[in-house]
Amino acid sequence: MLRNVFTKSLWDNRRSLLGWIVAGTLLAIIYGGFYPQMTPQSVDSVPEGLRDAFNFSDMSSAAGYLASAPFGILVPLLVLFYGVATGARAIAGDEENGLLELVLAHPVSRTALLLQRFAALCAGAVAMAALIFLGMLAIRTSAELETVSAGQFAAQSTAVALLAIFFGAVALGIGAAGGRHGLVFAGTATVGVLSYMLNAFAPQMGAEWLQKISPFYYYIGGEPLKNGFQWGHLAVLAIATALVMGASVWRFNNRDLS
Amino acid sequence: MEAVIQLRELTKTYGERRGIADLSLEVYAGEVLGYLGPNGAGKSTTIRLLLDLIRPTSGTARVFGLDARGDSVPLHRRIGYLAGDFIVPTRQSARECLTFLGNLRGGVPMARVEELADRLELDLDAKIKSLSKGNRQKVGLVQALMHTPELLVLDEPSSGLDPLVQQTFLDLVREARQAGQTVFMSSHIMSEVEAVADRVAIIREGRLVALSTVAELRARTALTVQIDFDFEAPPNAAHFASLAGVTEVKVDGLSLRCQVNGSPDALIKVAAQYTVTRLRATEPDLEELFFSYYSSGEEKVSVA
Repeated sequence: MLRNVFTKSLWDNRRSLLGWIVAGTLLAIIYGGFYPQMTPQSVDSVPEGLRDAFNFSDMSSAAGYLASAPFGILVPLLVLFYGVATGARAIAGDEENGLLELVLAHPVSRTALLLQRFAALCAGAVAMAALIFLGMLAIRTSAELETVSAGQFAAQSTAVALLAIFFGAVALGIGAAGGRHGLVFAGTATVGVLSYMLNAFAPQMGAEWLQKISPFYYYIGGEPLKNGFQWGHLAVLAIATALVMGASVWRFNNRDLS
Repeated sequence: MEAVIQLRELTKTYGERRGIADLSLEVYAGEVLGYLGPNGAGKSTTIRLLLDLIRPTSGTARVFGLDARGDSVPLHRRIGYLAGDFIVPTRQSARECLTFLGNLRGGVPMARVEELADRLELDLDAKIKSLSKGNRQKVGLVQALMHTPELLVLDEPSSGLDPLVQQTFLDLVREARQAGQTVFMSSHIMSEVEAVADRVAIIREGRLVALSTVAELRARTALTVQIDFDFEAPPNAAHFASLAGVTEVKVDGLSLRCQVNGSPDALIKVAAQYTVTRLRATEPDLEELFFSYYSSGEEKVSVA
């Protein structure tokens, strides 16, 4: 566990990572487990506009229900904050408390440090998505979710991981560019929440194209719980992440540590 | 002599703020160079440039002939660095911390770590959180020394250490030099530099203002001599005032104080005409040297 920056990051963050994984998995299986209690009338009190925004329009099918609160709001916002918190701490947080300097005075390049921290963030996101996936498989029968196949759950879980990784990369990147910890955290969280709103409300404002600039669109817009893997959408998230990381590496290599 | 560190017109500004300006300096293989200056003079800036933690505005820093910037990873293998504000994550034991840092260097013999910890009286199994500032500094010293690097770069190494441990630290520096390691050590505490350094560089407001051996610096500076005389024959100031090399003569009752440059022979011969009860000569410590540089500029020290 003390071998390199990657394993050390995971080891140092083991407690909080465990917390995120447990929270994400519980959220998914508890809300998923409510499905048998849901009736089409359950959301009648929700105004129609909001129903569309939050995917509450189709509560009768398992996939429709899961795409509403559980995978439409709770899990993605949770993993957004996992990415923000982990990414912000990885560079900005450690720089602020002086720890980056310690490692970078050793034979570790800035690129290696950044990529290993990013890899640890990815490993955490993948672990979280994997447990959510396994959790959903575990309750699939008891919660009457059989109409959603394992492959479709896998598709949604993959999107969960990529969403967390994308926002993690953004937080990491703003830190790599020199942002302070508080700014990185607040900034990335704000961008995350705004892009969530954009995905939710843009169609109602008659501006569907706006939806397409939100990462959340590529997370759930293709309805992976109904349609399985949306490779194009996943690729958009992956490529956006790669671009952010590329810029981060460049910037991090060309600046002073504070 | 082979230059291990070679700074050429190194300049660093932080926006409007000065870091260092046009600093040229060489540190030779096997020497201990004391890098002195008050807080804010630019000592840490120089050191962080050497470690590629910050980048120069202009000029170059080369270490072992390699570029501090472009070759930082291979260079860092050969350098042991102790930061001015050494910080480590606190939720781990000193042993875990040192194991990890050693692994970043491809592994360091645990026996060496234990030997250093023993000598510094550092408990490796204590959580860093529970360690005092001085004990954390010991962790920093161990991580800088544990891989027996060719070059030690130490920024205010003894800050927070109690006097006994400071002595141990100075012994470690002497041993490093004997083993052929080069030491670049910043400080604002003159006595520790005086105790181990071969040469001293003094930096003031980002510029190098003096560079010489400790012996040279001393030779250029006056001894303070105090002579106490027997009550039967109080000294006559006029007898002493005109002696070669003797200045600032002050007589206070039976006591005479003066500054002596070069040989004290003339002074001794005149004093011998009296009955001397006590004689004390003090070498200036670097502190005084340094303050004379700092308060009135470069020229002052060579003036007798």
